[in-house]
Amino acid sequence: MGERILWKEGLVVRHGVVEIAEHWAIAISGLILLVTGIFELPMANRYYITSLPGLGWSGDFIKSLYIHYAASVVFIAASVFHLLYHGIRGERGMLPKRGDIGTSIQVIKSFFGKGEEPPFQKYLPEQRLAYAGMAVIIAMLILSGLVKTYKNLYAPDMPLTLVLWATWIHNIFFVLFILALAAHIGALALKPNRPMFRGIFTGTVRLDYARRRHPLWIAEMDLEEMGRWPEVRLPEGNVSEGREAEAGDLDSLHAEIPNDGEDGRGGPAPKMRPVAEEPSELDKYESPPVPPLSPDTDAGDREKEQRDA
Amino acid sequence: MSRPGRAIAAGEGRLATLIDLSLCDGCTDRAIPACVAVCKEINKDKIPPIHEPIPVPWPRKKVEDWSRRREVFDRLTPYNFIYVHRAEVEAGGRTRTVFVPRRCMHCDNPACATICPFSANHKYENGAVVIDPDLCFGGAKCKSVCPWEIPQRQSGVGIYLHILPNLAGNGVMYKCDLCRERLAAGKLPGCIEACPRQAMLIGPRKGIFAQTDERAKAMGGYIYGKKENGGTSTLYVSPVPFAALNATMKKQPGRPDMKAERRRMADTDRMGKAVLQAPLYGIAAGVVGAFVSLSRRKDRRKGGEREHG
Repeated sequence: MGERILWKEGLVVRHGVVEIAEHWAIAISGLILLVTGIFELPMANRYYITSLPGLGWSGDFIKSLYIHYAASVVFIAASVFHLLYHGIRGERGMLPKRGDIGTSIQVIKSFFGKGEEPPFQKYLPEQRLAYAGMAVIIAMLILSGLVKTYKNLYAPDMPLTLVLWATWIHNIFFVLFILALAAHIGALALKPNRPMFRGIFTGTVRLDYARRRHPLWIAEMDLEEMGRWPEVRLPEGNVSEGREAEAGDLDSLHAEIPNDGEDGRGGPAPKMRPVAEEPSELDKYESPPVPPLSPDTDAGDREKEQRDA
Repeated sequence: MSRPGRAIAAGEGRLATLIDLSLCDGCTDRAIPACVAVCKEINKDKIPPIHEPIPVPWPRKKVEDWSRRREVFDRLTPYNFIYVHRAEVEAGGRTRTVFVPRRCMHCDNPACATICPFSANHKYENGAVVIDPDLCFGGAKCKSVCPWEIPQRQSGVGIYLHILPNLAGNGVMYKCDLCRERLAAGKLPGCIEACPRQAMLIGPRKGIFAQTDERAKAMGGYIYGKKENGGTSTLYVSPVPFAALNATMKKQPGRPDMKAERRRMADTDRMGKAVLQAPLYGIAAGVVGAFVSLSRRKDRRKGGEREHG
């Protein structure tokens, strides 16, 4: 996954090349599938899409079926790859966790100025829920699409009941796919989410943003990288005052998420302040990146090694 | 063979029909050919009363209303599923009149059915390709992918009236259903039963194909329907070449010609096979990718330990 902190740049690697490639393979092929699916409805000729420059083919159902097939090869292969690749590697960060629904409601309220956001892991709870939702939609589209393709090629006379199931699952989840995609892109309309946007293009988000909003993720990264709780000295007044975290810190962070204390480790925990008394206005995301640490820290060395390698 | 038994008529197994043009005389002694008349009679109540006024679709304002011209019998309409073409053909130095009954060919892999977005059109196990008027939106996709443009639209009826009549759908498509209900009741299709010269036959596919070959051989004639559009379950046998018959036909709405049609959907078959294989591509890439990345991570850790050790 390649998650790491780029101290000098003041960035955190959130997605590796593989994840970015997966995302865009599914996104672009998904968009092509969506559009050619609409053409198959049939919509192109009726709505004069055929008279748009370059879209004359859209009224030809055989041509749009061919493109639909071609895009679904990428869509299916990338989706199956995603499941296996991350499944085998044991990456479960996007799977919903207990309490995500409640926390999501809390987060959505905070977008509208009601209450504070809890500290996040790499993904927001609603991102994990959205992931699960999109995964179900994509799985249903793929399964029903495979049945339909098999019918087209080999078994036009397969039992009508099966054909009707496949057809209507494909049509209903096609509508849900459009709604889910709209919500996925619409989430960017919320200003607090925007610093994540660059991540799906460049792979990185800003360290100050990540520290502020995803402290649990940064803490986990520190733990994994160093094998111990970090003792990070940061310039005064920046990111995390009193960041000399202790082993109990992560637990207390978890305890802050409602319903998450059910693992028995809960109990009253000292309130974690991932960010030093920063103003709560949204423009704080625009603050300059964290200045690089002194080169004699472990992290600086590691980064240098990685660059040299 | 000329009168298949009850079990065959009941639609068990795959059926085929034979139209022998050396026998059809076009019923020139009648006002309407017998096959056409009986078909009209059987199907006269198939189309429910038309919704008045018929909703005008947007933005293309095409309404197809045959309800005031139900009597038309010299072309295919929503109220007329079979008609007889009269061809004057030069053969062996003399002019010969050949009559060609035309209706749905009930293709082996009918694009009209497989490409229907609502699976309202389906090929049944006995080979009959049947449109369900309760599911059809009248988008006419089936007509545009049919090489003979057989299905005919009647606007102002069907399920679209209850949804968005001006924006989606435009009626119901109608065509020959091989008298599916009569077959189920142990009867012969109307046209076949009514033909005074037994120019049409129905029976198990194998037998009908063998019979067609025999008749073609005996009359030194020609066969149409065996390979056209990837194969059909309607075989014409004719004493004159079909190219000559086709030359007498001008393709126009409701009046198909008899070209050596290829199956256009075949162009998508290779890509369709790739779709069915796509899960395997994903599995292979996912498993290989995950293990490669895991072993690299392991190597990196080992390397790190050595360095520090």
